This record gives sequence, structure tokens and C-alpha cells, in this order.
Amino acid sequence: MTTQTVDTPTPTATPRRSLSERLGNELRLLPVALGLLALWLFFATQSDVFLTSRNINNLLVQSTVTGIIALGLVFVLLVGEIDLSVAATSGISAVLMAKGVVDFGLPVPLAIALGIGLGVLIGAASGRWVTLIGVPSFVVTLGVGLVLNGGQLLMLPNTGRYNLLDTGVETLAGTFVSGPLAWVLVMFGIAGMLVLKLADLRERRAQGLDAPLMGTVIVPVGGVALGLAAVTLFLDQQRGLPMPLILFAVLLGVMSYVAGQTRFGLYLYAIGANAEAARRAGVKVDRIKITAFAIAGGLAAFGGILAASRILGVSVSSGGGVGGGALLLESIAAAVIGGVSLFGGRGRVIGALFGALIIATVSNGLNLMGVANEARLIVTGLLLVFAVSIDRGIERLAGPG
Amino acid sequence: MTDRQTQPILSLRGISKSFGGVRALSDVSIDLTPGKVVALVGDNGAGKSTLVKTMSGVLRPDRGQYFFEGREVHPAGPAAVAEMGVQTVYQDLALCNNLDAVQNLFLGRELTGPWYSAGRIRRAEAERRARDVLRRLRLDGISLTRNVGAMSGGQRQNIAIARSILWEPKVVLLDEPTAALSHSAAAQVGDLVRELASHGLAVLVISHDIHHFVLDNTDVIEVLRLGRNAGRFDSKAVTGEQVVNAMVGGDAAVNAAG
Ligand SMILES: Nc1ncnc2c1ncn2[C@@H]1O[C@H](COP(=O)(O)OP(=O)(O)O)[C@@H](O)[C@H]1O
Ligand SMILES: [Mg+2]
Repeated sequence: MTTQTVDTPTPTATPRRSLSERLGNELRLLPVALGLLALWLFFATQSDVFLTSRNINNLLVQSTVTGIIALGLVFVLLVGEIDLSVAATSGISAVLMAKGVVDFGLPVPLAIALGIGLGVLIGAASGRWVTLIGVPSFVVTLGVGLVLNGGQLLMLPNTGRYNLLDTGVETLAGTFVSGPLAWVLVMFGIAGMLVLKLADLRERRAQGLDAPLMGTVIVPVGGVALGLAAVTLFLDQQRGLPMPLILFAVLLGVMSYVAGQTRFGLYLYAIGANAEAARRAGVKVDRIKITAFAIAGGLAAFGGILAASRILGVSVSSGGGVGGGALLLESIAAAVIGGVSLFGGRGRVIGALFGALIIATVSNGLNLMGVANEARLIVTGLLLVFAVSIDRGIERLAGPG
Repeated sequence: MTDRQTQPILSLRGISKSFGGVRALSDVSIDLTPGKVVALVGDNGAGKSTLVKTMSGVLRPDRGQYFFEGREVHPAGPAAVAEMGVQTVYQDLALCNNLDAVQNLFLGRELTGPWYSAGRIRRAEAERRARDVLRRLRLDGISLTRNVGAMSGGQRQNIAIARSILWEPKVVLLDEPTAALSHSAAAQVGDLVRELASHGLAVLVISHDIHHFVLDNTDVIEVLRLGRNAGRFDSKAVTGEQVVNAMVGGDAAVNAAG
């Protein structure tokens, strides 16, 4: 077999693909993005307050804790597993961090690192158990979650609460970045993305592959730049960019890279689709799965710490209370509404953002309309079922053709 | 050159294999030659898969010899056989439906960037190499960027075969590549099988499809019956009926003749 390169830059055949196939891939987030837009338009007509800088700030910050936990869950869902202990992990990790600061006088960064470390350990241990024994992950992590709930109660003092006011922890969620510094941050993010996309473009051209500047660089980078600029302009009218949002955005960027550009990320998808094929191709399936659980645990812990910083304390209800409560359900819902399949192998990291935004929007908007909490739960539940149904429908249509 | 090409590259001699009381193979011999496609045919349970698994190192025979490039070898397992240059494509294909052709071709062998990139996949280089391989195999019709789950059965089968070729093997073993395919899809696989042989590979194909696949796309037909060699034919000089008679055995042959 001699190698003879044919030097035409055209790719091999790209047949016209059906809309359903494209909706299953690059347009997967289109329905949820349109849904989000519709919700915003609807609430804007229902409440004068909805589209104010202050309210949008609230809404975005509301979405960050759920969003960060959902972001970690995406990794576990991609390999076809689930972690029902993420809310409990967020709770116990936040309590450990608070205990470190309040009882032992640890420096805040160290206490935060300890909390995240605990989350990573919990996730890795669950993952190890799932891969070693082969017990379904929903059972293992359900049990782990209850164990953690018990541990959380044991770690709390008799008052049932650690107060974090004036400990320094509150600055994590309470800091705003405004003015030129905010714009420098935004530029930094855009520049990072631009560098990666241009590197792709350069490599593709060096290999003689087609690489339209418009489609591969200008549209994606321009889209993200416009979005970030709009949010920054809008929020800068008030106090600037809230730290939780900045942290969520950074995590989204890093994790999108990990899942979308690296070998580890590819293996998540491969395992989710066909673990046996991945194993035969030499992929260390167990190790990848354990890492996915560890990421979910670490991000859940971070989400919990952020929540503790926002509400200035931890208590029995940190981490959603016993069983994970609404925090667990909304985190799973956020990932799934964001297009991540519960059956593994499908979905994107950025889906966690869209899902969390939808949930926060419903909650925030209905609240402004004066609708009771019951209705909010019902609407969120219906949205979840609706989103998953759309997703399944698309997947079925996009099957072998 | 011609001398090399007429010498078998992989030969099994006098292979026997039992599973408990079941004698799956008895004293079977077979030769694979560079540039030639051998069809392995036989009824269900004739021992075809067992023979291929013996060649691929998955099974160790109870008796018999394994020659590769003229020397007797004692393969330790599938990895050792793959290392020698013998690739096997099993019926289940082992593809990931949510990945595209490039990702499937390179699965487990990704080209990655420097350490500080945390294992960034060098997609462009992989895509170019995948494109070149598919072109060389005249598989230009396969999209590089479409999920294989959305492709036809024939294209999926061909991607699985192309993937084995990325290792630049000398021998390719295909277990029933056309079993689940329509006639037109089987014809696509047939084209690829002949293309592989034209590049100098030795190819073995298990197939039940005598009339639409085996006669048109192979050079030699090896028949197994009840775990024994039951005939070797030149594909160009045999009828489908003769092959079927050899598969089902003497009585049927007499019946068919009479
Ligand atoms: N792992 C196994 N354990 C027991 N019997 C087996 C095993 N593999 C194959 N056999 C038996 O060996 C015989 C040949 O099987 P096989 O090689 O799969 O036939 P073919 O592929 O031609 O249909 C059959 O009788 C089958 O039942
Ligand atoms: Mg068989």
C-alpha cells in the first residue's frame, strides 16, 4: 500500500444530511435555546422587572449553583452512569469547608480546597465501587448520598449551623468585577477561544483540509463574544459581573475543552455509546468512568461551597437537605434539559448552562409574576418531560438512514 | 516478487479443536496468500468461526501447526497475532454510533498534542490520514464527519474494515461481513475486499452468500463441513451448486445430481 496524497482540499463526500440528523448533532441545543428565548420574551411581557439589570443578575447567579453541579453530572451522564449523590456531596463538602474555617481557623483557600478534595474523593470512591462491583450507579450513589447526609448532620455543631458571615468565605460569591477589569476578563476569555480556533484552522489548512474561516472561527468566536459582551454591558449598569457567574463561565470553558477537544473527552463519548467497543480499542474504561465521577464530585463540592458563600452559612439544609431535594432534581433536570442523554454518549457540556438558565428563568419569572411555588414545580416538571421527549424524538429520527 | 506472492503468508496445518465433548475442528488445513481473497464457507456449526478465532489467537488449538511467513509460530493471544500483522473484524463491528468515521478509525490510537494541552486530539492530522486511507480503499463515498450511527450497514461494515487497515496489517480476517447487509451493501463490501487484495493483503472472508458475494469477490473457496475440510475450489471455475453440495455433504450432492 503506497501512500499517495491527492492534493485537493475538498473533503470526502459530505452528503446532505437531514434536519433531524443535524438536530441530533451540531444543532442539538437549538430547541432549548429557542425555548429559553421564548421564556424570556414571555416573562418580559409579564413583568416590568424581569429584564432589569438587577433581576438578570439575580437570575444568572441563581443558575450558577445548579449549573455547576449539572456541569459535573454531564461527565457522569456521558459515560452512561448517573450520580444521585451530587447534592449530598455539595452539602457535606460545604460543611467541611465551613467547619475548617470556623472550628479550626483554617485559611479560606485551604478550607475550600479541602472541601473540593472531599468531593473528588467521594466521586472517585463511588465510581470505583460502580466499576468494581458492577452495581448500577443509581443504587450506589443513592446509598452514598444518604450516607453523606448522615455525615453532614454529624459534622454540624449542636446549633445545626455554621455562620460564615465575616469569615472571608462570603467574598467568594459576594465579589463583583466591574468596569475595565470586567472587560479585560471578557477579552481574556474570547482571546483564549480565538487562539484555540485559529490553531485548529491552521492545522486543518496545513493538512490540506477545507477550513472556512467564517464557519470555523468567525461564527463560533463571534457568537460567544457577542453573548459575553451583551451580558457584561447589561450587568455593568449595576454592580458588574458577579463572581459566581465568572467562575461558572470559566468552568464551562475549561470543561467544554476537556469534553470536546481531548482524548479523555472523546473516551467519555465512546464509552457512553459502546463501552465494549471502547474497551477492545484499548480504552481504560474503568479509569475513565472513575475520573468522570471524581469530576462530578469535585464540581458538586464547588457548587456547594459557592452556595454556602452566597447564603453566608451551612446548615442541615445545605445540599438540598436529606435525599438532595430540589437541588438534586434540578441539577439532573438542568443537564437533561440541556440535551445530555440519560442513556450516555450524547450531549454537550454547554447544555448545563442552558438547562440551568431555563430552570432559573422559570423560577425567577414565575416568582415575579407572583405565582406560587407549587406552580413553579409543576412547570419545571413539565418542561423536563417535554425536553426529554423532544430529545428522544430527534434521536429516533436521526438513527440509521 | 511473484515468488513471494504465490507463497502462503499464513497457513494452518492439521488443526483440531474440541469444546468439552464437541469436536469443532478436526484436522483442518488452510492457506492464505498475499493478494488473494479466500472465502470460508460451511453450514452453521461447521467450525468457521472457531477456525478464524484460532487464526486470530483468541483460541488455542488442541493440535496442529500455525505458520506465519514460512515459520511456525505459537501465538500467545490476540494481541500477539495483531502484532504479527493479522487483523480481525468481528461481526459486531465494535463501532461507536455517536462518533464520526475519523474518531472511530482512530479510537484508542488518537494522535494527541503536547502534555500542556491535556491530551488535545490532533484532529486535522487524523482527518487527513483517514481521508487518505478511505481514498486509497476507494471509499470516498463515506463522510468523515458524519456519525457512523446515521450511516448505512455497508458503510459501517466498510469503516470497521478500514479501521483494521490503519494498522497496516498483512492479513485481514472478516467474520461474516455481509450477514446483515442488503445485496447492494454486500456489493460495496465486496468491492472493498477485492481492493484490499489488490494492495497485496491476504484476506479471509466468512460468508453464507455464495451467489451474490462469494463467487464474485473471492479467489478461492474453502469449504468446511462438520469441522473438516470438505473441498477447495477456484471461485472462477465453480458453480454455486457445486459449492453448496460440498457444504451440505455427499447425500445431498447425490440427490442434487440425481
Ligand atoms: N465456546 C464454545 N463452547 C462450546 N462449543 C462451542 C464454542 N464455540 C463453538 N462451539 C461449537 O463448535 C462448533 C463450531 O462452531 P462455530 O465455529 O461457531 O461454527 P460456524 O461459525 O461455522 O457456524 C459448533 O458445534 C459450536 O456449537
Ligand atoms: Mg460463526
